[in-house]
Amino acid sequence: MTYSMTDDRLIELIEIWGAEPASWPEAERAAGQVLLRAHPERFAGALAEARALGLMLGALPEPDMPRALTEAIVAAAPRPKAARGNIQKWFGLKTPWAPASGFAAAALGLFMGLTVAPVASADDDMTVEVQELVVSALGFDTANYAVEDVE
Amino acid sequence: MAFTSDLDQITRAAAGDAAAVRALVNRYSPGVLSLAARMLGDTAEAEDVTQETFIRAWKALPTWEPRAKFSTWLHRVALNLCYDRLRKRRELLPDELPDRADTALGPQDRLDQTQRVKAVEAAIARLPERQSAALILCALQGHSQSEAAQIMDVSVEALESLLARARRTLRAELLEGRNAS
Repeated sequence: MTYSMTDDRLIELIEIWGAEPASWPEAERAAGQVLLRAHPERFAGALAEARALGLMLGALPEPDMPRALTEAIVAAAPRPKAARGNIQKWFGLKTPWAPASGFAAAALGLFMGLTVAPVASADDDMTVEVQELVVSALGFDTANYAVEDVE
Repeated sequence: MAFTSDLDQITRAAAGDAAAVRALVNRYSPGVLSLAARMLGDTAEAEDVTQETFIRAWKALPTWEPRAKFSTWLHRVALNLCYDRLRKRRELLPDELPDRADTALGPQDRLDQTQRVKAVEAAIARLPERQSAALILCALQGHSQSEAAQIMDVSVEALESLLARARRTLRAELLEGRNAS
């Protein structure tokens, strides 16, 4: 596709993209250069202004990248994944201690059940006063409890 | 070519390859810092934006899909972070926007290089943020039209319009005073 370049459009290209044809849009570059070569005097003013502005912009210093910033960015990057141990592979878990803690909890529960349960269930020896005290401590009305018990 | 090399480095960086990580940082962080510094006019804030941009990149690496060039994506993230900061600044300090008269150029020939640089930086800082972004990406960083348009998430025509207005303002502020003197 060939573009027919006009004076106005070429001046626009120079004003927008600068004096260097390399920075003009590729599709219009060749046509612009042809027109510029044919009539350089028509575009001299626009080119001079664009060059002056380009020089000013080009003189702006680039900020230095501080080493500490580079290191902070690198330090925040993804880390290599560590190889898993055999136990982890067997369980397919990221936390190998999870099954062990389950077994420990089960053993502790069994032990507590065997040792504490007989004491806790010895309510046959409770006196009436103690039973009432326990019932009221649990938030029940001892009178109603007694009635329900009778019924 | 750079695109292919990026993909390879991104894959390796996502797996924790330190050399690939450093290569990506060395290649792209100066451009991101420069964009942020020019947009914000504040070195410390620009460094924060650069760090935040890469932290987001590291999080995105494992699921990275090469729909755009990595550098385009990075610059877009950085630019959006800059827009956010500029917006917050406006909300916090609505009365402290730069005064155009303060830094307007006098006769250009009397300005030394430092003053000239400051005047250009001030003129860019006074541009509306999308115009300054277009100018920085195209005129200062040398991104192609399509790349800059992608970074800004606008059409090439819209980019051209933003750039035209930006350069017109700069010409009026920086050159016409000189021509008149």
